[in-house]
Amino acid sequence: MQSSKLSTAVAAVAALSALAVTMASSTASAADAARPDFSGVWTWNRDNGGPGRADMAWPKDPPFTAEGKAKVAEYRALVEPQGITPGGACVGYGMPASMLGSGGYPMEWIQRPEQITVIYEAHNEVRRIYIDQPRPDPKDLVPSRDGTSFGRWDGNTLVVETIALKEAVDQSSAHSDKAKIVERYQMGKDDKGRKTLTAEMVLTDPVFYTKPVSATKKWLALEGGRLLPYECTEPQWEDQLDKLRTEAKAAKKP
Amino acid sequence: MNRKNLLPTLAATVALVAPLALALTLVAPAFAHHSAAQFNFQTPKSIDGVIKEVRMANPHMRLVLTVTDQKGTRDIEYEGHSLNNLYRQGWRQDSVKVGDKITINIAPRKDGADGGYVVKVKTADGKEF
Repeated sequence: MQSSKLSTAVAAVAALSALAVTMASSTASAADAARPDFSGVWTWNRDNGGPGRADMAWPKDPPFTAEGKAKVAEYRALVEPQGITPGGACVGYGMPASMLGSGGYPMEWIQRPEQITVIYEAHNEVRRIYIDQPRPDPKDLVPSRDGTSFGRWDGNTLVVETIALKEAVDQSSAHSDKAKIVERYQMGKDDKGRKTLTAEMVLTDPVFYTKPVSATKKWLALEGGRLLPYECTEPQWEDQLDKLRTEAKAAKKP
Repeated sequence: MNRKNLLPTLAATVALVAPLALALTLVAPAFAHHSAAQFNFQTPKSIDGVIKEVRMANPHMRLVLTVTDQKGTRDIEYEGHSLNNLYRQGWRQDSVKVGDKITINIAPRKDGADGGYVVKVKTADGKEF
């Protein structure tokens, strides 16, 4: 009898636990389903910013520290006389230049509840935004041009924090490796009724800037659009093969 | 290396891109990967020549033209927009070929040497990119 009561109690607890898990899971699914879906291809919203680089949202005269200003000046003096850029060397833009324009090329967002993947056409640059994921110790992150991004939902707004950035003097939006970028993404519509994705960004970097720097970038949905392949280093490979063939041919000659 | 293989692959890959998508991206950024420091975009120049070599690539296309002017006849190398930007403006593999006579608008080099940045290509049959 006692054993029977115990079994019933265990079964009831198990059922309640299962119900709780199901409810939690369905609540999460419902929340996921209610989120805006940023998936798709987005391009520059030229109507709101004009063509070309005029659409770069980064302020022209950001509040540099002496150190930031000196580092950027040193870099520019090196490259500007010859017009050298990282893009010309097939190196991606890096954050925040990627999200602020990526050279005018489109980007593709792929959204899953736990991760959003952003692929920029230019240089096949990729960002992965981990949604509500545990954060590793910052010292375990590999510093990179686009950093590591962690996201969370604030209602219909996607909030993304990016850290583990490398120092970048080679972009308009220069920063040190201590920079932290917070982006807030919202979907909306422009005055022509077209779907837009607006990113409001704040970059905090006590090494390069005396105060946080803000910028806003609007992207426009490219309905039915696709990214093109972007094999930037292929010509160098082809030249290398050409050279090998020429040398091989020359070696065969008596 | 047969560089002519580049474009058919690309064309096949994106053959299904909606016309609307192309229309929306017709305006290509001029300096996506370039500082304008080398070239003078304020004083564009028109050049006639015969195509000796054309390589459609990212981040920039390369064009070698045989040009004859008061300095004589020589091959001059130019660079221009990326393959992807030109593709979106309607450029295809058969748009031009080696031996074609074309007219290009360039931003000449600031140092006065031959060469420059191609901002427009006009083919013999009047197509413009």
